[in-house]
Amino acid sequence: MIQLNNLSYTFEKGGGVSNIEMSMQDDEFAFLIGPTGSGKTTLLRLIYMDLLPQVGNVIIGEYDSDGIKQKQIAFMRRKVGMVFQDYHLLEDRNLFENIALPLHVIGCSKDEIVDRVKDSLDEVGLGGKESHYPGELSGGEQQRACVARAMIKEPDVILADEPTGNLDPVTSFELIKFFEEINREGTAILMASHNYNLIKGRGHRIIEIRNGSIRKS
Amino acid sequence: MDKLAFLLSEGVKNLWRHKLTSFSSIFSIFLTLIISGTLIIVSQNTSKVIEYLRDKYKIEVFFKNEITFEKVEEVVSNINKINGVRSTTVISKDDAEKIFKSQFGEDIMKIIGYNPLPISCVVNIVKDDTKTINIASIINKLKSFQEIDEINYQGRIISRIEGYYQLFVRLMTSILIIVFFISIFTISNTIRLTIYAKEKLIESLQLIGATRSFVKAPFIIEGILIGFIGSALSSLLLIGLLEFSYDLIYTYLSFKIEYDIKLLILTLCSLSIIISFIGSSRATARFLK
Ligand SMILES: Nc1ncnc2c1ncn2[C@@H]1O[C@H](COP(=O)(O)OP(=O)(O)O)[C@@H](O)[C@H]1O
Ligand SMILES: [Mg+2]
Repeated sequence: MIQLNNLSYTFEKGGGVSNIEMSMQDDEFAFLIGPTGSGKTTLLRLIYMDLLPQVGNVIIGEYDSDGIKQKQIAFMRRKVGMVFQDYHLLEDRNLFENIALPLHVIGCSKDEIVDRVKDSLDEVGLGGKESHYPGELSGGEQQRACVARAMIKEPDVILADEPTGNLDPVTSFELIKFFEEINREGTAILMASHNYNLIKGRGHRIIEIRNGSIRKS
Repeated sequence: MDKLAFLLSEGVKNLWRHKLTSFSSIFSIFLTLIISGTLIIVSQNTSKVIEYLRDKYKIEVFFKNEITFEKVEEVVSNINKINGVRSTTVISKDDAEKIFKSQFGEDIMKIIGYNPLPISCVVNIVKDDTKTINIASIINKLKSFQEIDEINYQGRIISRIEGYYQLFVRLMTSILIIVFFISIFTISNTIRLTIYAKEKLIESLQLIGATRSFVKAPFIIEGILIGFIGSALSSLLLIGLLEFSYDLIYTYLSFKIEYDIKLLILTLCSLSIIISFIGSSRATARFLK
């Protein structure tokens, strides 16, 4: 469960989000929609506590941003999968090493890591490409790798920031369908996008943000 | 266990990726440890060296020809009372004759018909290194005896050697302090470069929930590896040099260098760990947010 209470954050040079009230259930699929510069990325960063609120608080699972310690933030992030527009894959590591990274952080054994990375790559359709470097994959493949890296730690929620931003329409739809599949298995998904056409008519909750405020939820 | 292996391999990779800066850190640690090691060995041998040198302090005193042996014995008992004199050995005219014979293989009596060699006395100086002795004042007191004709001594050169020895120790200590800080600085700088080069990895790790210590660990390991390599190299070189010079110095100066390999290695290792730990902690504390 995610809960945002009277949340505000303003950057020094202006911009940010203000007075956000919002909550999300454990199995929900929600789109965060709004034009560029409306505050989607800021809101997501507040949720995974890359930014800490100046007013109000964020509650995610058992963690409350109010007076949270660095170490708690680390533990909270193990329950949250992040997917980015620019994939955030490490260029100097191959696909296997990229996907394995979250498992090293948790402290899994070598055998477990090999098994789980293989399963998760099969799941996103990248089986057999373990030794490829990010530069040797297409945009769609890199984005699926990014999803695999988010999924491998079996998170409670996935936060996706414009994940389709660099993908063509067909690949974008495939990604959304893939997210729906993940959601059916019980993972909450919050996906930010400025592309209304991509998400309309799929029956998911739509949270609209404009100028840093939520208009309709 | 696998987590540790992962962090360790990350540390090694860091080290390898920045070979040149790693090398400069290893070199500065190496230098620090060589100097420390030399100082350790020198200080372990200080009292032995001073004792060795003072053992060679010999003042030879020649008495005037007309002085009788009884008078000489009286003077010598006064010499023994001089501060800094350890012992004396009187060499009678007969002894001198024997020494001459053994050294030159000639009987002086046969050559010139009488014994021209004067009575002499060897004055030995205290060996104890705890007090510095003033050779000049001993010489002056000896000169005040009317019965003494000539005084031979090598005191000046030996006290000069002692002076150089102390200067050397002081110089090395100052250099040690400087290179100690330089090596902390170069290690910290090496780690800082690695941290900059790893910005994306650090960011990713933080996003997937790595704790601060997990993110820091490879960098600290990198630093400690640098220290370890530096201490291994310097220990090898020092022990090699010691083994080599031990025989040489013993053959030429019959001086046995005293050293304790275990203590030496232990000290160098702990010193390198201290340096590399301070260096890499400094870097991670300052450049890892
Ligand atoms: N790091 C930042 N520093 C300063 N201002 C920022 C920063 N990130 C975002 N902003 C400002 O906050 C507002 C919201 O930005 P953002 O959350 O990135 O919007 P979106 O993701 O919806 O495009 C914008 O006006 C932007 O200029
Ligand atoms: Mg954005």
